Amino acid sequence: MSHHPIISPLRHTLITGDKTYHDITEDICAPSEKVPSTAWVIAFILSVTVLGFGVFCILWTIWMGIGTWNLNRTIGWGWDITNFVWWIGIGHAGTLISAILLLFRQKWRTGVNRAAEAMTIFAVMCAGLFPLIHMGRLWLGFFIFPYPNTRGPLWVNFNSPLLWDVFAISTYFTVSLLFWYTGLVPDLATLRDRSKGLRRKIYSFVAFGWTGSAKHWQRFESLSLILAGIATPLVLSVHTIVSFDFATSVIPGWHTTIFPPYFVAGAIFSGFAMVLTLMIITRKVLKLEDYITMQHIESMNKVIVLTATMVGVAYLTELFISWYSQYPYEQFAFYNRATGIYFWSYVGMMGCNVLVPQIFWVEKYRRNITLTFFMSIFINIGMWFERFVIIVTTLARDYLPSSWSYYVPTWVEIGIYIGTFGLFFTLYLLFTRVAPVVAIAEVKSILKTSGSQYTGVVNRKAVDYKEAAVEADHVHVGHEHH
Amino acid sequence: MNQFTFTGREKMVLMFFMALGAICLAATYFVEPATMVVMNHGHEETVSTHHMRFWSNFLQNVVFFLGMAFTAMFGYCAFITAYGGWFSGMKRLWEAYALWMGVGLIMMLILIAGVWMHWHHLYHWNAHGVTDINDPHYDEIIAGKAPFLNKYWYTFATLICVGVYVFITMRIRSLSVAEDNGVKGDYSYHNKMRGWMAAFLPWGAFTSAILIWQWMMSVDAHWYSTMYAWNVTASFFVGLLSMTVLMLIYLKSRGYFVYVTENHMHDIGKYLFGFSVFWTYTWFSQYMLIWYSNNGEETIYFLTRRDQYPILFYGNLVLNFALPFLILIRNSSKRKFGTIGLVAAITFFGHWFDMFYLIKPGALINIAGSNDAATALGSVTGYALPGLLELGTFLGFTAMFIYFTFSKLSEAALAPTNDPYIGESVTHHVI
Repeated sequence: MSHHPIISPLRHTLITGDKTYHDITEDICAPSEKVPSTAWVIAFILSVTVLGFGVFCILWTIWMGIGTWNLNRTIGWGWDITNFVWWIGIGHAGTLISAILLLFRQKWRTGVNRAAEAMTIFAVMCAGLFPLIHMGRLWLGFFIFPYPNTRGPLWVNFNSPLLWDVFAISTYFTVSLLFWYTGLVPDLATLRDRSKGLRRKIYSFVAFGWTGSAKHWQRFESLSLILAGIATPLVLSVHTIVSFDFATSVIPGWHTTIFPPYFVAGAIFSGFAMVLTLMIITRKVLKLEDYITMQHIESMNKVIVLTATMVGVAYLTELFISWYSQYPYEQFAFYNRATGIYFWSYVGMMGCNVLVPQIFWVEKYRRNITLTFFMSIFINIGMWFERFVIIVTTLARDYLPSSWSYYVPTWVEIGIYIGTFGLFFTLYLLFTRVAPVVAIAEVKSILKTSGSQYTGVVNRKAVDYKEAAVEADHVHVGHEHH
Repeated sequence: MNQFTFTGREKMVLMFFMALGAICLAATYFVEPATMVVMNHGHEETVSTHHMRFWSNFLQNVVFFLGMAFTAMFGYCAFITAYGGWFSGMKRLWEAYALWMGVGLIMMLILIAGVWMHWHHLYHWNAHGVTDINDPHYDEIIAGKAPFLNKYWYTFATLICVGVYVFITMRIRSLSVAEDNGVKGDYSYHNKMRGWMAAFLPWGAFTSAILIWQWMMSVDAHWYSTMYAWNVTASFFVGLLSMTVLMLIYLKSRGYFVYVTENHMHDIGKYLFGFSVFWTYTWFSQYMLIWYSNNGEETIYFLTRRDQYPILFYGNLVLNFALPFLILIRNSSKRKFGTIGLVAAITFFGHWFDMFYLIKPGALINIAGSNDAATALGSVTGYALPGLLELGTFLGFTAMFIYFTFSKLSEAALAPTNDPYIGESVTHHVI
């Protein structure tokens, strides 16, 4: 049997513009080899300013105390944990694209995996800030590390999902970073080979002496697969454990068994929305439309409609089972979510996460960039509302009506949240300057099967799939009979 | 060898096992004593068994095979919607499985009739007087659930949900067969199929949970878990993948599906591995969250199973997690037919065993009258472990399912030569 690939005539092109290998190198290296554009400079200044304000708010919290937030005895978790879960969730798409889609050999991942992985790392950094700041006194972070200690019998609480979170997220961060960097090495070597002087010295150092020999590639491939194999259960474990933070409790509305897979689905959902937001801007600004094509956007929109529906099934499941349980507190928790003081956040959650994304069942809308851009922002608002509903709405109405409360954030809490956007975009903008935003080597690997000169309706004649199929069948029959 | 012929010998062997299954199933109707003595609230009580062993066996097998057929359709739709080119070469097999839903629906009609005629006591919510406040058997919780747990809704939801599955499946099947004889390069059939498939996915996703709650979870009428439906669906899907592996190995040995190679088996193996892990994930999440929060109304479910039926409880995890996980984790074991066939045989039985684990303890409680009474009974034949009659019934249902699959396979070409992805499928190559 010959292994020359036969491509279905219905399969879309993933690299447009009839690129050659050389074109790919030139196009993708270009953004990091030129003087930054005015747009980049303005965006960077803006991001750093916002980051500065965030740092100020964090320092304000630490200096003045956690009392500068509006948390109270009833609502002990507010914007802080909402933002934490939201950012962690956003990180998930990167690992899904880079690891799970690698295991499934999905070719379209090559256009977006690099940026998505970078986004994962930055999002996890933003997320990690919140539990630390929430301690009020930052140095208490010391006590979350379990090591043979001088504190006598005092250990961290191994029974607490909050501690499992520490392990899960730090492991996840480490593996994501390794995975991202491994993928970067061949591309950094490409940049090194194109540069001179100090720039060359720096890229030489970070490229680890990559020469592109067969041995290097072989090791690269095995390492990628191993890391993908490790990252896949890790990405599931992270949001699973985040969901355990809630679901191990006996709080009505939190204690429900569907939380783990539903949190993971929601995380991938919001992560893909954020990837779309970033990619739609990036491809335009860095002129990468030939590599991040309509087909990539459509594929991501399919993942969006899939995960939106999964999240929808989960929302309706927990709503239904709360009634079915015949447990009055559980029933009240959901009644309160839908009709209580924070009803608007429930409406926002259902609307943005379940109802509106259903438009993506229609191909025309999946391939509409403007619409996709607005949807991606909608979804991230919706997913923020989901966490707000779970955390604040539930806590605001606890078992004792006398302690029922209402919560609005202070400027400090809002400032820290805005500040994390500053951090996120500062890092992302720096990333677009120093490393190729699209994985050069990986895109090259799919050129012969997904490049526009080889695929698509125009080239249908080039791959007469049916004759090939019949031929392959004959060849096989011949073999089997001997 | 593009046309499957269902040989007389195969028919005879399968008929033999179907007859064996029928005899075993019928035997469970008669061998179970009509009454048993239980200790309820400190005094002895004689209760009717309502032929529970027979009915619970019937429910277990009907639901398991119907569920596998449903996941075949769901997986098929998902693969095609997601441009899964590798799959096209074996799509006829999954079409044949999916068509079983029609047979499954007819079998469900027997269970529905049983609900109306009170032939069985699978569902305590269907017992006389449980929703009547003036009745001594009044059960406040079940009365509260009555808008969902009642014979009207049970009938209606089953007919509508499964009816639509069957309808869409038949539409897709006829388009798929018509495509074979269509003009070369005409993808209008394929595009129409995609439309039906896109409709099936959300409909199937939302409604399958409803069916699983009322068919299976409501056997334990008080207990509830939001994870239950996803856990059971994962179980069905692993059962289906295992069946597919075994079937392909057999059909290839007969010279069919030559273009389905170890590369395709590798991909099925990845799914088998992945969904075995996913099943375990849902199992563990459900168990751990209930164990951790230690709420008696929820823990009772696992407490009964873990303490009363340790072989079911731990055996389930060994068969469906430990063995497939350890054996399939290597790439090479997914590509060796002997190895993956062994795993598939284990998990196929394993997920049938999972259904047994889910349904039987609750069924025994329903005849004993309470959890304590059921516990006091100890190991009851046909409930604590699958007995020979249960295994015979399982073989009978499997034979019937295979018989149906073979007869559907013989009705269309094995390789859909006009499928737009068939070229990708026959040259599919992993590693």
